[in-house]
Amino acid sequence: MRATTADRTQPAAIYLICAAAWVVPGLGHLLQGRRQKGIIFLVALTLMFVYGLWLEGRLFPFQISEPLVALAFIADLGIGLPYFIAKSIGVGAGRVVAITYEYGNAFVIVAGLLNMLVVLDAFDIAKGRK
Amino acid sequence: MTSHFGMMVVFALFVSTVFATLMRDQPREQLLFGARLLVGFVGAGVLIGWLLYPLPL
Repeated sequence: MRATTADRTQPAAIYLICAAAWVVPGLGHLLQGRRQKGIIFLVALTLMFVYGLWLEGRLFPFQISEPLVALAFIADLGIGLPYFIAKSIGVGAGRVVAITYEYGNAFVIVAGLLNMLVVLDAFDIAKGRK
Repeated sequence: MTSHFGMMVVFALFVSTVFATLMRDQPREQLLFGARLLVGFVGAGVLIGWLLYPLPL
């Protein structure tokens, strides 16, 4: 069954699957018939991101003068669409004096990084490596 | 849940869920591997916390 999935997947489709997997966590797996995994990624990563924002974590801006802030921005962006939704509704300003601020940042950043791993897994499946 | 320990457990729960789903294919294997990861993460956190306890800030 896995070989069949790989045989069906055209090179352009592989990159579309990766893009979809980035935009919506788990969508890359759902599109390739891995329903259980896709739903778990969608729920777990979205909840982790939202929990981080609830803990008053910050969505970092792209600041090249501050390399660590720029890296945090890239990690935040890894979650895809939820990042843009959060930005558009004005959450993720972060409250530095909140006791949960650093914890919130850890949740938001790690949710983005984990979604990058999920995108790589979707790529491997599309390539027929898994 | 905003206690330090509570947040660590929730963090470990999310990370172990994603890792177990990534690394195992069968639901039963995912559950067992995820549980082992969760216990490992929380246990390591508590252990390192106690090891750091005598050190001055």
